[in-house]
Amino acid sequence: MQRRSVVVGVGESSYYKRGTAQETEFQLACIAIRNAVEDAGLDLSEIDGFVSHMESRNDPMRLSRALGVETLDFAAQPWGGGGNGVAAGIMLADAAVSGGLAKCVVAFRALAQGQFGRFGQARMANRLYGAANYSALYGLLSPAHICAMQTRRFMHDHHISQEALADIALACYANAQLNPRALRCGKPLSREQYHASRWIVEPFHLFDCCPENDGAAAIVITTPERAKDLRKKPVPILAAAQGLDAGDGFGAFNERNFPTAFYRNVGKRIWERSGVRPADVDVAQFYENFTGPVLIAMSEMGFAPPDGIEEFVSNGALEGPDARLPFNTSGGNLGEAYIHGFELINEAVRQVRGESTCQVENVELSLAVAGPGFSPGSAVLFCRD
Amino acid sequence: MSRYLGDAWALPYLDPQIRPFFSSGVIRIQVCRSCDAPQHPPDDVCHACQGTEFSHRDSAGLGTVHSFIIVHHPVHPALTERVPYAVALITLDDMPQIRVCGNIVDAAPEAVSIGQPVRATFEEIHDAETGEDLTIPQWETLTG
Repeated sequence: MQRRSVVVGVGESSYYKRGTAQETEFQLACIAIRNAVEDAGLDLSEIDGFVSHMESRNDPMRLSRALGVETLDFAAQPWGGGGNGVAAGIMLADAAVSGGLAKCVVAFRALAQGQFGRFGQARMANRLYGAANYSALYGLLSPAHICAMQTRRFMHDHHISQEALADIALACYANAQLNPRALRCGKPLSREQYHASRWIVEPFHLFDCCPENDGAAAIVITTPERAKDLRKKPVPILAAAQGLDAGDGFGAFNERNFPTAFYRNVGKRIWERSGVRPADVDVAQFYENFTGPVLIAMSEMGFAPPDGIEEFVSNGALEGPDARLPFNTSGGNLGEAYIHGFELINEAVRQVRGESTCQVENVELSLAVAGPGFSPGSAVLFCRD
Repeated sequence: MSRYLGDAWALPYLDPQIRPFFSSGVIRIQVCRSCDAPQHPPDDVCHACQGTEFSHRDSAGLGTVHSFIIVHHPVHPALTERVPYAVALITLDDMPQIRVCGNIVDAAPEAVSIGQPVRATFEEIHDAETGEDLTIPQWETLTG
């Protein structure tokens, strides 16, 4: 596999409880980007591209001016949904750098929900328009509701118990205890607390649902040539993928493969392109908007068949650096912070560098899988240089 | 007839594409004029043959619960007093590739289960603001 682009910088702002950042969202974005560029040992003026996902507020034109870039040569975002696009953004940056369209691309995401409002809150009026009627008219309103509908059927089809959902949440919280940056550091979660927590939407308890937070995270992607004399060891992008399986593009639970998490094709492509297998992966970050869809995504990515996924995640199989599959090692959306999944990208890169607070030994392959339950899915696989 | 989510809950604006489903008094599904394939929700192009002209097919209104959720945390202020409520995903018996959302109006949320047979029923509402007479598809349990 030809490795044509590498990550050379990782950075973030401080992370905050939702609505409590003193900075504006644009300020958070600039702080994270500046930190990533400094980490790389680059100058801000060398940045010539920006990618993000679902980022309508901190646009590349405004960033270029604020950050003093010399020329802007590439600016793009993937189609579709929300957190499912976080790895697709990295894929675009990889394509731009590999294809010679830009030399130093920043990928980032910033959120300040006090300033701009939340995702999990319905913002509908008393009149519904178009396709929203087929769900919202019946009280199916939020991402949690959509993912709960998928999860319930998946649990039914594959005899999965509530304990498997708990296993996802407990691993994130346990790993967050090692990470001083994590908003849940110092707030451990027990299985009893998990089960005793209130229902948000069955089958999701409170601890199955990620919080919403304020903050920003960024990485810098450049060519192997430019990376040679920079501060940190480069982290190559071995493969990235975005996509859908046939018949899964039309929503409202009428996808051919319902209850899919939209990772069948992404899994197929990323193993094809990288030439490795799921069992070769040393550490994996899976976007957990809600715990249930992680189980679907994990099985669609090929880590275990759906009927075996509960066994695959049980008995602490995901917790800590020595786990069978070290998972969400910074705490993830649930435990570290919900920066729309970008904190998972930063962690996946840090694992290859040896800079994680839950460091896995001798990491060769570090996977980040974007948001499940919304289409199209995406994933990125980093490797050791 | 009072509505499952309360009479103050939102109502649809009937554009030409959604009108048949919410005002015909039956479970009326979009069907392609060229290849006869049903699809839901309706779209501008047939997903089977890319046809652009459509008619409709009426289901007999019998279905099976394919999945469901029970909402406890209200994400809209108008539902604060209404939780917990269930939303079900129904597979139509006579168009098994079609799934529609609905509420099981005669069952407590905890009584809803996957595989439960259900029958369509309709919330008949006169929308005073638009003058439309709506028939909002809902579902009731079918026993024996």
